[in-house]
Amino acid sequence: MTLSPLGQAVDQLQPDAAVGLVHEKLAAGEAPLAILEELQAGMGAVGERFEAGEYYLSELIFAGAIFKQASAPLQEALADASADADGIIVLGTVKGDIHEFGKNIAGTVLSSNGIKVVDLGVDVAHEKWVEAVSESGATLVGMSALLTTVFDDMREAVATLERAGLRDKVTVLVGGGPMTEEAAAYVGADHYCKTAQDGVVIAKRVLGVS
Amino acid sequence: MADTQGPPQGPPPPPLFLERMGRLQTAIHCGTPDRAPLSLVMDTFACNVLGVKYSEFCADLDVSGQTMLGALEKLGDVDSMQWASYAPAILGMLWLAPMKLPGRELPDDALWQLDEQVRIQAEDYDRIVEMGWGPWFGQYIGRYLGEAAAAAAEMQQKAPRWVGEFIGRGYVPFSAATVDHPYEHLCGGRTIQEFTMDLFMRPDKVEAAMQAIMVEKREQARQMIRAIGPFGYWVGSWRTAPQFLSPKLWDRFVWPYMKELVEIVAEEGGIPMLHYDACWDREIGRLLELPARTCVLATDGQTDLFRAKKILGGHMCLMGDVPPAMLTLGTVDEVKAYCDRLLTEVGPDGFIMAMGCAIPPNAKFENVKAMVDSVRGG
Repeated sequence: MTLSPLGQAVDQLQPDAAVGLVHEKLAAGEAPLAILEELQAGMGAVGERFEAGEYYLSELIFAGAIFKQASAPLQEALADASADADGIIVLGTVKGDIHEFGKNIAGTVLSSNGIKVVDLGVDVAHEKWVEAVSESGATLVGMSALLTTVFDDMREAVATLERAGLRDKVTVLVGGGPMTEEAAAYVGADHYCKTAQDGVVIAKRVLGVS
Repeated sequence: MADTQGPPQGPPPPPLFLERMGRLQTAIHCGTPDRAPLSLVMDTFACNVLGVKYSEFCADLDVSGQTMLGALEKLGDVDSMQWASYAPAILGMLWLAPMKLPGRELPDDALWQLDEQVRIQAEDYDRIVEMGWGPWFGQYIGRYLGEAAAAAAEMQQKAPRWVGEFIGRGYVPFSAATVDHPYEHLCGGRTIQEFTMDLFMRPDKVEAAMQAIMVEKREQARQMIRAIGPFGYWVGSWRTAPQFLSPKLWDRFVWPYMKELVEIVAEEGGIPMLHYDACWDREIGRLLELPARTCVLATDGQTDLFRAKKILGGHMCLMGDVPPAMLTLGTVDEVKAYCDRLLTEVGPDGFIMAMGCAIPPNAKFENVKAMVDSVRGG
């Protein structure tokens, strides 16, 4: 897919160009949703470079910040656009763990790829996952952890979704420093995400969006 | 320096210590000892083995030494511990952020956590250059790191006694201090998010500040190693792993400083302990640039240690790397099989058996025991 100049500015990690182009487009009367889609296309290209080993976490972080800054003037106009999101994910760091960096990166790349993120923060109590899924209608749940000591909490959080009758309605993704395929199986998750970009790829596949 | 336990105190070392030290030295110089030596890092795992509250461990350096020594003796024939005592508050000196500790901000049985916030402002890069690292850091300690500095001072005072205790029981306390990368300091005090942005938005200022830090760090490191002696010195990598940074950023902000600090430790007669967390696969070949048969590369299960052996074998001793998740969730048979593979494919020459990073608090005792026993064919 050919990127627009705005998409290229995101892809090439040029914050001033991205912000300037968004302002120009708004001044010219272009639809905010169309502008957002160009930014998202740029983030998609960043994700592809990450998967190809051309970009690293450093570039993902910077691209995410560019996306946030450039899309800020669109937010008011897009306040009702969440209905147009490709899907919804409830995201958080599980009970007993307060690390938020990995979770925040995942949230940024997911939202900049068109997935609405319901961010529960860190040290998320088990029942909060149930409440958030019920209220938001999310079909994806993303659980993060940086400590091996919270594997059992993560497992219990998944079990809590099961007991609430929601387990069949959601796909559970897990990630974080100590996670492995084996640990993901232990906690009862559906997918292990080694990187934030893995989360985007898996989420899009589950949601059936390209 | 974030962490120093000083020179040992006590009587001459017993024969068992000398035997174990010889085994380690053979491995460090890429030779083949009578069997693979073991070297462990454990803190909260030791608490759980002995039923000691994390809060008690954190509050008293002597409790930390007693706890780690007690757990070590329960595990059997272990050659070495990386540290003979530990005060988690001291981590604040590495990442320039205070620690939240169990028994104080956190429940008695909670793990300590870094209280990471934006404390270094963008203007501080210029201030570090203008003031010099020492004066700037002195002010910063006064504002944010009083407790970490007190913990460091206590460690300097009390830790030598525990080094002596370990030696007296025949264990080799491998590491004496850390020699910290300026990237870890600035990234911790600035936060990962903001510091990463700075690498793109104001790279020259970051670079100038790092060079200003190095001006003093070079001499501090040399003096410290001369004072303490030929122990291991951690030149660690947590946030500087190639996994996190593009080659362009890594070549500019990580490797030149890492290489120089390792060379300084080696020149002064220390053993550079490359405690490298996260994945180093992309740049593992760069380690051939470091002094030969002097360093120990200790990985955490995320770097492919088997591939590393093919590249670094004969040049550098490798240590590791039973993954934390395997020690926690795996079975004894899985641990045994993994250790056997380490012994044959990463050993028998230039290899030290160890956990990846540190033994996790909730590791199964029988799994850790299986790792310990593996070096004797257990």
